[in-house]
Amino acid sequence: MKRWALLALVLTLTVLMLPAALPAQPKDTLTVALVSHAPTLDPHMHFERVGILVNINMFDSLLHRNPKLEFEPSIATSWKALTDTQWEFKIRKGVKFHNGDTLTPADVKYSFDRVIDQTKKSPQYGNVRAIKEVKVIDAETVHIITDKPFPLLLERLVFFPIVPKKHVETVGDQAFGATSPVGTGPWKFVEWKRDQLIRLEAFDQHWRGKPAFKTLIFRAVPEVATMVAEIKTGGVDLIREVSPDIQPELKTHPVAYISSTPILRVHQIELDMRVPPFDKKAVRQAANYAIDKQTIIQKLMAGLGRQVATVVQPLAFGFDADIKPYPFDKKKAKELLAQAGFPNGVDITLHSSSVANRPQFEALCEMLTEVGIRATPKMWDPGPAWNKFSQAEGKGTHGIYGTWGNYSVFDADAVLHPLYHSEPGGWYGKWYTRVEGLDRLIDEARSTVDQPRRKRTYTQIQQMIREEAPSVFLWTQYDTLAISKKVQYAARPDEWLWLFDAKPAAAR
Amino acid sequence: MLTLFVRRVVRLVVVLVGVTLVTFAILHVSGDPVALMMPEAPEADRAVLRVSMGFNDPLAVQFGRFVGNIARGDFGNSFFHREPALPLVLARMPTTLLLTGLAMGLSLLLAIPIGILSAIRRNSAFDHGATLVVFLGTSMPVFWTGIMLILLFAVQLRVLPVSGWESWAALVLPGFTLATFSTPLLLRIVRSSMLEVINLDYVRTARAKGVSEWFVICRHALINAALPLVTVAGLQFGLLLGGAIITETVFAVPGLGRLIVGAIRQLDFPIVQAGVFVIALMVVLVNFAVDMLYVYLNPQIRVR
Repeated sequence: MKRWALLALVLTLTVLMLPAALPAQPKDTLTVALVSHAPTLDPHMHFERVGILVNINMFDSLLHRNPKLEFEPSIATSWKALTDTQWEFKIRKGVKFHNGDTLTPADVKYSFDRVIDQTKKSPQYGNVRAIKEVKVIDAETVHIITDKPFPLLLERLVFFPIVPKKHVETVGDQAFGATSPVGTGPWKFVEWKRDQLIRLEAFDQHWRGKPAFKTLIFRAVPEVATMVAEIKTGGVDLIREVSPDIQPELKTHPVAYISSTPILRVHQIELDMRVPPFDKKAVRQAANYAIDKQTIIQKLMAGLGRQVATVVQPLAFGFDADIKPYPFDKKKAKELLAQAGFPNGVDITLHSSSVANRPQFEALCEMLTEVGIRATPKMWDPGPAWNKFSQAEGKGTHGIYGTWGNYSVFDADAVLHPLYHSEPGGWYGKWYTRVEGLDRLIDEARSTVDQPRRKRTYTQIQQMIREEAPSVFLWTQYDTLAISKKVQYAARPDEWLWLFDAKPAAAR
Repeated sequence: MLTLFVRRVVRLVVVLVGVTLVTFAILHVSGDPVALMMPEAPEADRAVLRVSMGFNDPLAVQFGRFVGNIARGDFGNSFFHREPALPLVLARMPTTLLLTGLAMGLSLLLAIPIGILSAIRRNSAFDHGATLVVFLGTSMPVFWTGIMLILLFAVQLRVLPVSGWESWAALVLPGFTLATFSTPLLLRIVRSSMLEVINLDYVRTARAKGVSEWFVICRHALINAALPLVTVAGLQFGLLLGGAIITETVFAVPGLGRLIVGAIRQLDFPIVQAGVFVIALMVVLVNFAVDMLYVYLNPQIRVR
């Protein structure tokens, strides 16, 4: 027995004395952990947040957005609407691609053509299908022509990377996305080990100047606990979506700090207005009165949330601050429920695949139950079974709790149309929402580029949905980054990781 | 011998066809990939894509086309990676096989000596200790073991990297984590089958001949006790490939499991089909090898 004990001791000691296997991080390297990699590096052929975060650091779009959410020139130096359906963009001169070629208006036209061309099956097609044609006018001018007034055009151009026509045509679409992506952004491509890391290197000839970090690495780390362990040990420098329960620890951590900001993501329970009990307005309003939003924000979200009156958020164009959220009023909720013919309450089922928000979902169902809307939460794994359920008509359901990120478009249309318009192709609205006159107003607001007029229409819409309550309106959330103390950076409201703004922290 | 070989090859083909059919059937009732491929697009545009991808054809026609393509080694292009599916899957194989092989090797390395010792010193403190560890090992879920090992060796002691696949040091924790999943059962098998043979007449005879104890154990007892071990190890291999998915996720290992799970979530049919096919092939081949190993270990099988 003693021999075994000795052996165990020796083994343990050997392990402890192994040369520290932690890779020494050179100071000019910035390592970011993402939950996954997008399936392609071709910025036009996916529509995933994790892919966009990588692409924006390699490619430039016509416009850029600063952290205050204002448009800034990027590939386009200036822009103006010539008519309701025609826009003019001046293209920056002398912009170099990573392969040394100079960007021309032909590259801009080509970039749009390959998404609008349906045979290429771009997942971003839906975003820009309003664009009918892109015309090269001269060596520095491009016109974008839309088939009808398209007020979201500028929003859509903030992430619409310009790719080199000649290069893409030479190497082919497949190789461009897998092994040889070329853009004009601050970092150029070095290597991609799928689901492991994407390595980028600073591009000397980038038109803004050289980025502060020579090497930029995006690792794929799917497990949250692992990601947190990585940031604590300095294995990575930046992680996203830090949940409220681990924030206190990271706030006071010796190697990392926390950066939070409100983002464009709204939570709501979409109600099925076709079937009882939510076919009655009074029941829908009762559900809105039943929720103690502030308590959930304080207790379950570390205070990082803001109540909203509808699904239109403070950061989005069209938001009307005069429309107030439903107050928490249990008595009123019970009265309304009784008025609607349910004095003894009613049983319903709610569904959700928002696993990160499970505590909130359960609390919501509990609060509804307390006023007599006895809600059974049904939590789904966001996999194929959920896809099938949510792609079906959602029959036999009473509502779905979920969040909506507006696709990072800071405009009321990006939430109202998919959530409430009855046109096929949107989100649940096409099945659930039946509000007289709402379709017409949403269409009206998206068919003009006259912004003051749009704003008035959106006020009208917000008043209408606040009253009709097609959803239980909840809150907007924050995004929280954990960042290494060696790096200076701040979370952005559009959830972008625009790492050109990241700087090495001053030596302590 | 030859008939045995032929029978096994036929079984291999039947299993692969069955797996292909089941995967195909499950995938095609599991939802509409087009809706995931074209978010925000109107239904009319999606319909065009559906037709162009052949999703509107009768299922039998789709399956026939699919099998025909597989026969030519073509699993189709991934819907999202926009590349042929099979090379994407094969590129991940070495990683997953290395991880699985490492775990299996580590398991055998632990299970055989400890199992033998437990059998020889039955009911000793060592035997009880080993049983306790076995219970611990089987009771801990792989993801939990993995995270605990990260916290101990990477966060507290700082001797190993937290995750990744960049250095040899990064292989240690995932390999060990996965091994904790397979070791207990193997250890029990070694112990019990050793106990069965250790008191049989031929072992006693060998001892009586004055053969050294080590030789008796290794040459006479272990070879005969190895049959169940080989069987279980072969089956465990398939389970390990499954367990590897979780280990790959916890340790951010770029293996096959993560590729397939990601593809299932997105309904990326070609990747799922190619991946399941390749894994099934691996499992069947390993069990085929096990069958052949039987013949070597137990001459009686050869005669039949």
